[in-house]
Amino acid sequence: MSSTEHVVEELAPLADLDIEAALDPAEPDGVYRDSRECAALAIIAGGGAVLLAPPTPRPKKG
Amino acid sequence: MEQSGTSPLLLGTVQDVASGVVSALRGGDHARVADLAAVDGGAHSLVTAAVRVVGADLLLPDVLRGTPPDDAELALFTKAVQAYPPRRDTKPTVAWSHWAMRRTLRRLDAPAPGRPVGEPDGSWLIEADWQFLTQQLAVLAALALPTQDSTVFRVARSRPVDVARGFVRAVRRRDWQQAAGAGRWLTLLPGVPDTLGLEAGLDFVELMGGDDPRVALQVEAARRMRAGAFV
Repeated sequence: MSSTEHVVEELAPLADLDIEAALDPAEPDGVYRDSRECAALAIIAGGGAVLLAPPTPRPKKG
Repeated sequence: MEQSGTSPLLLGTVQDVASGVVSALRGGDHARVADLAAVDGGAHSLVTAAVRVVGADLLLPDVLRGTPPDDAELALFTKAVQAYPPRRDTKPTVAWSHWAMRRTLRRLDAPAPGRPVGEPDGSWLIEADWQFLTQQLAVLAALALPTQDSTVFRVARSRPVDVARGFVRAVRRRDWQQAAGAGRWLTLLPGVPDTLGLEAGLDFVELMGGDDPRVALQVEAARRMRAGAFV
């Protein structure tokens, strides 16, 4: 048995764990902040233009 | 914001391993990771899988400082490379993260298991829209290292404004892990708009994603590279 075969066999119980899902996760659903909330957070964080940028376009419903 | 499709057990171990890397980046040591590696049986297998998920970043502190890695940690890293090769039909990010681990071994003059492999195909990223580009780059944040060229790096370098837009989008969606990964890339890219406020943005991401060591890892890596900590 080669070294690689040995290692793969040793770790076989982990086959159920979806390593690929962890390595290439789907983008989770996001909850957008509104601009006023971002402005407040920017002040708390010490100021950051990033958070005051115009809202990112949201996908249209329907 | 948790990622779907990953078992809680594996996710928790990934966070433990990432926490050890953060500790080392902040000037601590790798004791926690080495301790994790010292366990036997199923737990050892779980840690090996977690190391594969954390990927090349496990050895980031040594790569940044130019120091030799701990023997036990290097053995664990090599074992993860060997145990989880990319499948023939695997997704590009999986192939690239495996390639990044092999590149890290080469950089540290450590033997890489198996036959030498070239760069995976990078064409999937070239035509990606800015949202998908940022999400994929964040997943592959371990490739964001100064002086470490790759097709992925060249694509990122050619689209700094798109990555900046993606960073803002991730912050507004409260996807702190994606924001931290994108922020790490932006630290290295030329042509990032000053109006982005990257430094304050990274502080904010760290603040909001503070209890997730995977977020802290990317923010800390960005800071170290921004400070020029690279040998």
